[in-house]
Amino acid sequence: MKKILSILSSLAVALTMNAQGAHDFKLNEVYVHTPACCDSSACKTASYVDEYGQSASWIEIENISYSTHDIRNCFLTIDPAVLDENMSAPERETHMSQIPAGDPRTSLSAKQRITFFADGNTNRGTLHLNFKLPVGESFTIYLFDGNAVDLLDSVHVEALPAGSSYARIADAEWQVLEADKVTPNAPNIAYHNDKIKEFKEKDPYGIAMTLMCMGVVFSCLILLFVFFHIFGWAMNRAAKLARVRAIRAIHEQASKVVEMAKQGTTETKGIDMETYTAVIGLALHEYFGGTHDLESGILTIQQTHTTWADKSHELRVTPQHHQAN
Amino acid sequence: MYHNTPDGYYKLSITNFQLELMLLESVSTMDFIGSKLADFLTYTGFANVEWANIIMIAVGAFFIWLAIKKDFEPLLLIPIGLGIILGNIPFKAAGLEIGLYEDNSVLNIFYQGVRLGWYPPLVFLGIGAMTDFGALIANPKLMLIGAAAQFGIFGAYMIALAMGFEPNQAAGIAIIGGADGPTAIFLSSKLSPNLMGAIAVCAYSYMALVPVIQPGVMKLLTTKEQRKIKMKPARQVSQTEKMLFPIVGLLITTFIVPSGLPLLGMLFFGNLLKESTKTTRLAKTAGSALNDIVVMLLGLTVGCSTQASEFLTLATVKIFALGAFAFIIATASGVIFVHIMNIFLPKGQKINPLIGNAGVSAVPMAARISQNEGLKADPHNYLLMHAMGPNVAGVIGSAVAAGVLLGFLS
Repeated sequence: MKKILSILSSLAVALTMNAQGAHDFKLNEVYVHTPACCDSSACKTASYVDEYGQSASWIEIENISYSTHDIRNCFLTIDPAVLDENMSAPERETHMSQIPAGDPRTSLSAKQRITFFADGNTNRGTLHLNFKLPVGESFTIYLFDGNAVDLLDSVHVEALPAGSSYARIADAEWQVLEADKVTPNAPNIAYHNDKIKEFKEKDPYGIAMTLMCMGVVFSCLILLFVFFHIFGWAMNRAAKLARVRAIRAIHEQASKVVEMAKQGTTETKGIDMETYTAVIGLALHEYFGGTHDLESGILTIQQTHTTWADKSHELRVTPQHHQAN
Repeated sequence: MYHNTPDGYYKLSITNFQLELMLLESVSTMDFIGSKLADFLTYTGFANVEWANIIMIAVGAFFIWLAIKKDFEPLLLIPIGLGIILGNIPFKAAGLEIGLYEDNSVLNIFYQGVRLGWYPPLVFLGIGAMTDFGALIANPKLMLIGAAAQFGIFGAYMIALAMGFEPNQAAGIAIIGGADGPTAIFLSSKLSPNLMGAIAVCAYSYMALVPVIQPGVMKLLTTKEQRKIKMKPARQVSQTEKMLFPIVGLLITTFIVPSGLPLLGMLFFGNLLKESTKTTRLAKTAGSALNDIVVMLLGLTVGCSTQASEFLTLATVKIFALGAFAFIIATASGVIFVHIMNIFLPKGQKINPLIGNAGVSAVPMAARISQNEGLKADPHNYLLMHAMGPNVAGVIGSAVAAGVLLGFLS
């Protein structure tokens, strides 16, 4: 029974993991190929050819997770009809292009991207879709899970300038990238450049950066300083209070013993009263002055002469061998 | 050919044709050997060497000499020095998968730790496991000196911008001022990977030269009387405080600068392993064997990455000049900040400005310099434990600074 339960729970976990994996796929970049501008320099830099050397529109998908997932059996489409909730799964599939199984290229490792050519020609292989992206028009791309029901991601693309692409540069931020920044199968880097560019333009001497960064560094260490200053004070205070409480308790005990000794009511178990009080006095002296948890840390190198260090004690008598008879 | 003779002997008879054939065979064999040897010679370092390689090999040898003879950071300079030599052995690029930049070569696999930035956090794990933050907790105001010394980074950033570097490159170079090799490698691998080799070598070189750079600046900015200031012994720190420090430190710093998470997270993780007193074995491994392995691979691959074509450029000269400025500014700002603090501190609680230099994170070398300079001024003035406070604060400060720069520019 236990075995069956563990197998079932493993299966449940495995199924959940699969679903989580699919949700880690995000549309990353879209490029619309315009045959009319193929000769222009802009289009040349942005074009990305398929296995047959043909330029076509493409859709890039990224595995945003840090583990490997397979995108096989997922669906891509630009047909808004699939949003109809009353449509059955088999009917939806007819409006979409399914990513075939059995191709190792569809297995995406962490942060890896895959590019599908929207050329309407699935006979050309796994990376080709059964639809084309409209030129000069806006459209929406939908990425569906393998059940053709769960929408994993979608993006609305306005009509793009020739040679440009539409790319995701942050989690939910998309930007039109110029031809020289189009990056099929590579990270979208426009965002990074923009930050550096912004600093270069608005803070050419680095003063703002210095003020901001020093402010942050000081903030961190001041917060740590404040915390440990207060905490250290509290710890010291607690230790002092504990010590005062202990001393008070001993004082009370000692005064009680002295009082009892004066009255002669102390049970000395046959020990002389003077000896008894002397022992109590010695114990109190040791407690208040002679004992300590923490060493003073003062070292001395002043030599004290003892018989242990006496040179005469270091002399050794040469062992005498017994003569064999 | 051998033939039987009537007297029973064999006689060797070779026709001219056969002789020619043999000669031809021997000639072709010789040709074959000759051509193969000639081909082999094209693969050797002698056939491919350039002056730049020789210069870089000399630089590597100089680093090894500094480490062995002058005892300048031998644990770092020996791997880096040998790495420089290794990376500059000339060879013919024939797809043998031997070079650092050739995919799947052994060196390339080791280099991924530098390129992808996972060696520096591992080094920070070791640093955390070896560092006692007790001196800092005992006197928390010393943390501010560690923060002030980070001005070395941003002073160098401004100079680098003025010298024409891009903001990302300037940030990668400026982090040298933190005097923290792993942080410099981490940040430059993210912001300016093409300058990483020069930045790493520069950072480690100047860290080794801390005893040469800092004392002059410290003396220049202090009077004889100030150098004699005696500081009260710090209070004893409880184990609870020590255990709490990595947790609170992690929460505060990473909530403010999440981009510093890889470095700060590993630093405080290592320290918690040490201070928890329950994971002594792990702390021991992190601080010794693991740290040693990573330092070896890091040093070697960083050295290898300084190939002549990439390293012998004007940018490298500028980086070395900026690195020196960064160290001087960092030292000076630490010392000056102590002077400013002393204005507000009551008599008897003044701080010796000689511990200001320790705000850079060259642990424990910078603190040792404070100690040595303090002893020179007063043979009974021991500053080592006081200087350890700003020194370890500098480690946190430089990691935070790197995180902020990364957050702004990446």
